[in-house]
Amino acid sequence: MRKTKKRVWIGTGNDFITLPLILITILVFVPMIMALITAFQSGPPLNMKFNGFGNFARMLTDSTFKKAFGNTFLYLIVQVPIMLFLALVFSSMLNDTKLKFRGFFRTALFLPCITSLVSYSLIMKTLFADAGLINQILGTQIHWLTDPVFAKILIIIAITWRWTGYNMIFYIAGMQNISPDIYEAADIDGATKTQQLFKITIPNLKPIILFTTITSTIGTLQLFDEVKNITNGGPANSTITLSHYIYNLSFNFGKPNFGYAAAVSFVIVICIVVLSLIQNKVVGNE
Amino acid sequence: MKKRLLGLLLAVMVVFTFSFTACGGSDKSSDSDSDSKDSGKKTVNVWAWDETFNIKAVEEAKKVYSSDDYDVKVVTMSQDDIVQKLNTSLASGSTDGLPEIVLIEDYRIQGYLTSYPDAFADLSSIVDEDAFSPYKFAVNKVDDKIYGVPFDSGVTGFFYRTDYLGDAGYDDAALQDITWDEFLEIGKAVKEKTGHALFSLNPSDLGLVRAIMQSAGTWYNAEDGETITIDNNPALAYGINIYAQFLKDGIVEQVADWDGGVNAVQSGSVAGSPQGCWYSSTITGADDQSGKWRIAPLPKIANDAKATHSSSIGGAGWYVIKGLPGEENAIDFLDNTFASSTDLMATLATEIGLVSTMKAAADTAPYQEANEFYSGQKVLEDFSKLSTGVPEVNYGQNTYVIESVMAEYVQQIIDGKDVDKVLKEAQKQVEAQVAN
Repeated sequence: MRKTKKRVWIGTGNDFITLPLILITILVFVPMIMALITAFQSGPPLNMKFNGFGNFARMLTDSTFKKAFGNTFLYLIVQVPIMLFLALVFSSMLNDTKLKFRGFFRTALFLPCITSLVSYSLIMKTLFADAGLINQILGTQIHWLTDPVFAKILIIIAITWRWTGYNMIFYIAGMQNISPDIYEAADIDGATKTQQLFKITIPNLKPIILFTTITSTIGTLQLFDEVKNITNGGPANSTITLSHYIYNLSFNFGKPNFGYAAAVSFVIVICIVVLSLIQNKVVGNE
Repeated sequence: MKKRLLGLLLAVMVVFTFSFTACGGSDKSSDSDSDSKDSGKKTVNVWAWDETFNIKAVEEAKKVYSSDDYDVKVVTMSQDDIVQKLNTSLASGSTDGLPEIVLIEDYRIQGYLTSYPDAFADLSSIVDEDAFSPYKFAVNKVDDKIYGVPFDSGVTGFFYRTDYLGDAGYDDAALQDITWDEFLEIGKAVKEKTGHALFSLNPSDLGLVRAIMQSAGTWYNAEDGETITIDNNPALAYGINIYAQFLKDGIVEQVADWDGGVNAVQSGSVAGSPQGCWYSSTITGADDQSGKWRIAPLPKIANDAKATHSSSIGGAGWYVIKGLPGEENAIDFLDNTFASSTDLMATLATEIGLVSTMKAAADTAPYQEANEFYSGQKVLEDFSKLSTGVPEVNYGQNTYVIESVMAEYVQQIIDGKDVDKVLKEAQKQVEAQVAN
């Protein structure tokens, strides 16, 4: 009996996945469990003690955590729909076979995605500085980087610029799978371009829209580089995100608090799981 | 059976490839070790920030003292990177890859010393407590053991452009012995008459509030370094009020980061900067502005008996990581340079404008010299006089944790909320933050 069992595991190609399995266990699963254990501890890093749900209770009264949580969801609720809608509009415009210089426009819109996160953040920061180009063009005196409201708007503008093209590529790929016959029939029936977008393109793209919504949601919940580099969470934590707060808790202060940081990171995990489930339910369940 | 053997063979091969590459790595490093032994020299690594200041200081120190046993190598790194690397390495309990000597800011060191009690070497044997400014020992000691060699003073002053203030009708005497309220009025007049902001301010950085608070001998926490004293702290409330007023009245230029502040000074858009004396190397970096600057003591708090014109921002010390092979060499290097050499302090005074916390440094020649850049003012002498009056406070372990929270409450005060109420809330919030 035992022998046959062994045979089934080794010798059917499973040997090839054994090593990755061991590696992923050591490098991903074990650290995850250790992080979960850390989330229930507190104290100096070399002498951590269990404190039950202390870290989670602390979140309920921690104003900075609430701020980070609120900001992260603000970015999510405001930015993701804007970005995905823009991506849809751009992609349906670029999918038009009669459009000239299609390749050029596609490249231009996709280019932001291949720039490094840090370098584009620094350029945004320069453009939106008090004496920067944007204020000069608009003829305004807006403190983009140091006003709590405008700093948030700036972050949203920045990430929208960076990620719209990325999502657009998925939509273009999806649109090429929609049969041109449907559009032709719609044209004959006298449907306008806008009607075609909402009645034909969007329903047909449903699975792809779901996919981009989930990846964008995860991306926004993990938002870090832009905030760290453009405003550094400021002014006074008014643009801070959960990931940035975790970074601050672990590395930025002289006295690190890994237990609390791990607890906050599990909140992100839970949020991502819950949101993905909801989106799956709302958009459809294939 | 054959397949199984093949699989095993593959697995063994993979494992061996891994271990061989690992061996290759360690072989190399031991090679380089023996190389350096052949030439009879080990390396002592130093991590520090600021090329114009701290790095130059170590380079000068190397000229003063060199040993046949080891070479000293300086690595420039931003302070953020140093903080992050120390945290990750020390938390893992491993000192691999850390330098023997590291520069740590006064505000942060207590956090390290208490979080990682065995990570730093005891330097009591080479540091003479009587030889340095006493306020430095409020931060680098734990239970009578001295862990750091005090380095630069953070004594504060108001660096200002004589031409801009002159245009607004203020001479040098107008900035002597004033209160912050009067200073605010000066700022308004300067803005009105010259169009220049008085100085630049980053709304996330409460350095100015810290300076005002320390000038009256108080801090976010009490002398024990733990009890939070945010509520019922008149000096703090006064400082925050002034800070908020500067922003509300628009007489300061808002910047988003450190470089923005440096840029504001060097491009000539602001009339001054209230900063620690180490900022001098940045100000003198703009050669074309020579002769246009002077330094005044900071204003003081109105109606406070303990108020002084002396305070401190920043300042740092040298620390030695324990348990590294070069530990003794590192201690030997510090012993012969930063811990004892007045010659070095004199050289650094001329080279980088260092205001040393070593008492004997004030008697060296460069401290008596007039400074061309600052319109002939005896800058170092003035600073070292102010330095003796800096009130001692224990920065505790949580300065930056507290400040991150405080910045949010200061924003509320700028938005017009009542100071006392906001500080009461802040007290509660900070207490919860530092509790575990």
